[in-house]
This record gives sequence, structure tokens and C-alpha cells, in this order.
Amino acid sequence: MFSISVNDKGTIVLSGRFDAAQVDTAREILSSLDASAVVDFRDLDYISSAGLGILLATQQRLKKGGKAIKLVNMNRMVRDVFRIARFDLIFEIE
Amino acid sequence: MMRQQFDKDIRSLDAVFGFLRRFAAEERLDQRASYVLDLAVEEFFTNIVKYGRGTGNDVHLEAIRSGRTVTVRLEEQTPVPFDVTRATQTQFDVPFEERKPGGLGIHIAREMLDGLTYDYVDGTSRITLTKHLET
Repeated sequence: MFSISVNDKGTIVLSGRFDAAQVDTAREILSSLDASAVVDFRDLDYISSAGLGILLATQQRLKKGGKAIKLVNMNRMVRDVFRIARFDLIFEIE
Repeated sequence: MMRQQFDKDIRSLDAVFGFLRRFAAEERLDQRASYVLDLAVEEFFTNIVKYGRGTGNDVHLEAIRSGRTVTVRLEEQTPVPFDVTRATQTQFDVPFEERKPGGLGIHIAREMLDGLTYDYVDGTSRITLTKHLET
């Protein structure tokens, strides 16, 4: 089960498992983002390259306007995936 | 050993993960090994769905544990050999603005697995993933 939502502070909250079947769900929220934002990974258990692809496209689009997303609270395995993909050079990860 | 057939469709992913979850529970795999197998199988299963040249409409998964090594195979009937593990290459040497996600999943899977092979036997394309267990 995957979910993506925006909380009252404007933080994008991911939870569950972000696999290739969830891309359209994530795109609905991320494609409408037009300002810098924090994406909270605290409750995200799993991400694959499909999820990374959507985040990469979002970051590329935002950076053109001088904005960016910052990623926080990743678990160790998810952080490893970002490191291996060299996405730690693309995103601010906290 | 566990073996199951899945429709060659992205909507089969939940069932694929269910198969891997049952295998992980039965073989008491640690969380890391389970994550790596989920990720690698997802990448290759979706690659078969996107790029596979198979004549049939299904993919077989087989999972085996032998001591501290786990092996998962994905099999598809194909008229000619087609190695989906080489379908796309990751480009790390391009500027961030031009970077594309193609090939990323295979790169991550290769890095996290201990073995990845492709072979073609009797009309079957077979991708074999191996992962050594830490415990």
C-alpha cells in the first residue's frame, strides 16, 4: 500500500511501498508542485527506480525555476538506494 | 523451492511481491535481503513487461534458498535470445539537467545483488539473481 499526501505544513508525506505500479499516484501530487518543498520519507518502507524517476523529474523541473525538493527521514535501505543511484548528489537529504 | 506463474502485466506486481514475501517468511530472510530481492525482481519483471520479446503472456518466478545463498529466477518463453538486463544503460556522466532514469534500476540491482546472469535455454530467456545472506 502506497500513499502520498500533503500535510498542513506543506510537507509531502510518503508512506508504504513506492513501486512501479504507484507512479501515476505519485505523479498526481508531484507534477503540480511549483514551489520548494520537503518530502518526508519517515513512513516509506520501500522505493525502486520507478519512484526515483518521478522524484528526478520533479527536481529537474523545479530547479529550472530555482526551486528544489528536500528529502528527510529516510530509512537505511532507502538511503542506500539513493546513494547507489548517486541521487545523494542531486537531492539535499537530511 | 517456490515457483509461480504471473501474467506479463505491471498489475501483477502486487502478486509478485506477495510471492517474494511468502518466500522471505518461509526462509526467514533478513530485512535487507528481502528488500534487495523485491527491488531486483521488480526491476527485471517490469523490464520484461516493457521490453520482453516473449511470445507467451506470462513470466515464471522461482525462488530457492541453499545455505546462505538465495537464488531467484525469472523465466520467459522467447523465440530469440533477448537480454533485458542489458536493455538500457545508466548515464552517470551527463549533467544533472540531462540525466534520465533509464537503466537506473538495473544499476541499483547489480550493485545490491551478489550475482546476476542471463542465459537462453530451449526457447526460454532466464534471468538469475543471487544474494548471499548475512545471517
